[in-house]
Amino acid sequence: MSPQQEAQIRPMDTVGRDTPRIDAYERVTGRAEYTRDITVPGMLYARVLRSPHPHARIRSIDTSRAEALPGVRAVITHETHQIVYGSGSIAGGRQYSDAAKDITVHKRYMFDNPVKHVGQPVAAVAATDRYIAEEALELIDIDWEELPFVLDVEEALQPDAPRIWPEGNLGLDARNEPRASGGVSGDPEAGFGAADRVFTDRYTTAFVQDAQMEPRSALAWWEGDKLVLHTPTQGISNCRHDNAKDLGLEDHQVQVICKYMGGGFGDKNGSYYFDLIAATLSKEADAPVLVELTRKDDWLGTHGRWHTVQDLEVGVTADGTVTAIRLQAHSGMGPYLRRSGGLSGINAYACPNVERTIYPVHTNRMVSGNFRGPSEPQGYFPIQSMMDGIAYELGMDPVDFALKNMLRPTDQIRFTNYTLDECIERGRDLFDWSSRWRPQPGSDPGPIKRGSGMSFMMFRAGIGASSAVLRVDAEGQYTLFVGVTDIGPGAKTTMAMLAAEELGVPLGRVDVVWGDTDRCPYSVGESGSRTTMMTGFAVIEAARDLKGQMAARGMPRGDDVLIASATPNPNTAGMRRMCFAAHFVEVEADVQLGHVRVTKYVAVHESGRILNPRPARDQIRGAAIQGIGQALHEELLYDPRNGQPLTAGYYGARHVTHLDVPEVEVTFVQTDDGYGPYGAKTVGEAGIILGPSAVANAIYNAIGVRMKSLPITRQRILEALA
Amino acid sequence: MDRKDKKGTASVSDAATELSRRDFLEGTGAALVVAGTTPAIASAEGRAATATTPAQQAPPVPTTAITLTVNGTRRSVQVEDRWTLNELLRDHLGLTGSKIGCDRGECGACTVLLDGVPAYSCSTLAVWADGRSVQTVEGLESDGEISVLQQAFMDHNAPQCGFCTPGQLMSATALLERNPSPSAQQVRQALAGNLCRCSNYNAIVEAVMAAAGTSAPGGSI
Repeated sequence: MSPQQEAQIRPMDTVGRDTPRIDAYERVTGRAEYTRDITVPGMLYARVLRSPHPHARIRSIDTSRAEALPGVRAVITHETHQIVYGSGSIAGGRQYSDAAKDITVHKRYMFDNPVKHVGQPVAAVAATDRYIAEEALELIDIDWEELPFVLDVEEALQPDAPRIWPEGNLGLDARNEPRASGGVSGDPEAGFGAADRVFTDRYTTAFVQDAQMEPRSALAWWEGDKLVLHTPTQGISNCRHDNAKDLGLEDHQVQVICKYMGGGFGDKNGSYYFDLIAATLSKEADAPVLVELTRKDDWLGTHGRWHTVQDLEVGVTADGTVTAIRLQAHSGMGPYLRRSGGLSGINAYACPNVERTIYPVHTNRMVSGNFRGPSEPQGYFPIQSMMDGIAYELGMDPVDFALKNMLRPTDQIRFTNYTLDECIERGRDLFDWSSRWRPQPGSDPGPIKRGSGMSFMMFRAGIGASSAVLRVDAEGQYTLFVGVTDIGPGAKTTMAMLAAEELGVPLGRVDVVWGDTDRCPYSVGESGSRTTMMTGFAVIEAARDLKGQMAARGMPRGDDVLIASATPNPNTAGMRRMCFAAHFVEVEADVQLGHVRVTKYVAVHESGRILNPRPARDQIRGAAIQGIGQALHEELLYDPRNGQPLTAGYYGARHVTHLDVPEVEVTFVQTDDGYGPYGAKTVGEAGIILGPSAVANAIYNAIGVRMKSLPITRQRILEALA
Repeated sequence: MDRKDKKGTASVSDAATELSRRDFLEGTGAALVVAGTTPAIASAEGRAATATTPAQQAPPVPTTAITLTVNGTRRSVQVEDRWTLNELLRDHLGLTGSKIGCDRGECGACTVLLDGVPAYSCSTLAVWADGRSVQTVEGLESDGEISVLQQAFMDHNAPQCGFCTPGQLMSATALLERNPSPSAQQVRQALAGNLCRCSNYNAIVEAVMAAAGTSAPGGSI
């Protein structure tokens, strides 16, 4: 970075300066109120009965014994309530399209029959206490007709596979036609023809639960024909709309409140079926109802990253230029197409001749959905592993191969700014690549071998519509109304900082009202790493408007206030706005035990201007460690004989603990491309994208054998070395 | 609360082998108190009795009077024998700081101090706290001042979503009590039973080290 660029991104008065979160006190004293911490008079407790079968029809369901249990106030099933959970199965995986929700023939009901995966809800009970609700579940009698099931994504597309849907097991697009995603660019056949060598390989990646620490819940009650709903959601505005739509209400008839949320990590920018269960039970029982998911309910009854099988073909010339890439992939979506099943990664290469075919496949595993960088880590792992291996085959340093083949700006492909080369070169220096990387993989003597790997990426940093309202009173106190919830990255603080900066006042003069649809304007929701860029920009626009009002009319007097609102919808005039990153990892692999330990982790990111340095750094550190978990540990295994999930829960998935993590060294290349709030770009998701690929490449460098399946477990390493 | 799990999501073949946390606790509790009564029999009898008489009033739940000290205040409480310590704290004493993340001793979000030692309150029966001292995150403040450790957690951005934070704080409080100058590795070992899915492990260790007056590598920004 040139000195002028460094000068451009000096800290401003508030923005860019390390600022403790404005709700840190609540978070360290136990005062932060999460959904389950709320009690209201007369509230009932609800429990959800779930399918023990991967695929089964309910011949009959008898709730009479449960209803007779003293203390039970309501029992609901698929027979009593047929409510479509509209954002649960979406044609083409199109999250925010009401039309797509309406058109899909693969509707997902609050309670479905037949059930299509273990853990699917089949009934719910509200009772005066948890013990009675749990007891009542045991008194529900179901006559099951077990149906054949399928777990494997390739088997599921065979003609004789058990059919989960009448149309077959390939996901439907927005026109209800079974179709793979992807497409062709350039001329792949010509590209492969021009190649001196063509490499093919198969990679697989595992299902990984989002596994946020707060198990999901919903507390609902009715005030006349209005629903009040406390629920952990990453987007109160979208959650309100989804629930209103499913319940046949207008948006204003639903109030969604989420003040604190114990982790998001994706696909909770909207409603969940247990919101509908809480609302329905509350109406039936005429009392507030709290639905609580157990950890196992949450694990099997929400969602996680789609597992994949990917066949790659890459053509390359003798001088190391990639001429063609072909991907054929299967993404396991569970029985409902909640999200796209797409895969990213190839887009980070300049190669013009690309053919991608990605089948979103239905199986009787649990539902897949978005998890931090929904299409990214499991998309980057195969292609970055392939390219790493090709570099070795051609006798090239993988870093040089990356710099030669990564996507760069062209006349046709314009970026608002571009720093990927700088991220890679800085990372190479900071990591001391030349001394850590082994030109000869697996060459360390003895059973404990070190090795290093790297990977690189670019990820969307799009701008778009969101809203903010800002008010000032005669005392000069500002109140900012934003529909954010603050799931962990510190959005509430960021919004206050942006307002303070633009207004030119100390942070303490800005109060934030957040997390309540009755009090806040629309916000895009904390998913897609968009809150800072979109709602943050709206905050700045509102502050500019308010400053203008104050300049024209003076400060308000007495009980008067001045109010400004903004709903900007900026765009980049066709330019790509991306964040960039390169991760460099060193591992130590024990080839006798198969154990892998990450010994050094350098992450260099360009996310535009960094607004609050410490939380931004910790987003990257935490995400990188989640990426290590995906690389080495996490998987939801199923027993192929009976369709039962085997590793639901933190122990089963072997989540990383304090003892498993390295010090992650984060460097931000700071820029201001003139878009977004003072040039800020994506942070939240960016850090997880490269963990699996960089760790896998480091393992190859250490042991000299390419690991092609995530997670890279001890057993897999020992099998590969045997 | 795992009872639903067993009936609802486990296969028939699993049901016999999968032991819920509550069953396990009730079992071990019964074994401790009533020598010679095997937990499996006691549990099966209880379930059968309920199942055959659903319409009748449920039999009264056994309760016990206990006295314990909670955050420095002596409390006498009539607790149901089936309550976990976490239920007592959250549902009956209004102390919602300690969280339920898994309710089965995997995650540590429910960690409290029992006579100064970290304990998973989801896996501790309330009756076991009789005569003992319990400290929760709400008890870390004194005279309205937060502790040095809490301040360090704020300064070092140790909470992301904040759900694991109370448990991390309690384990770290116990560590600093017995070892005021721990190494980073000692901090990691002491907090190994407290998961953080935000994976903000680096910052948490830095905060504990800062509270101890030492600094961890990478702690500055």
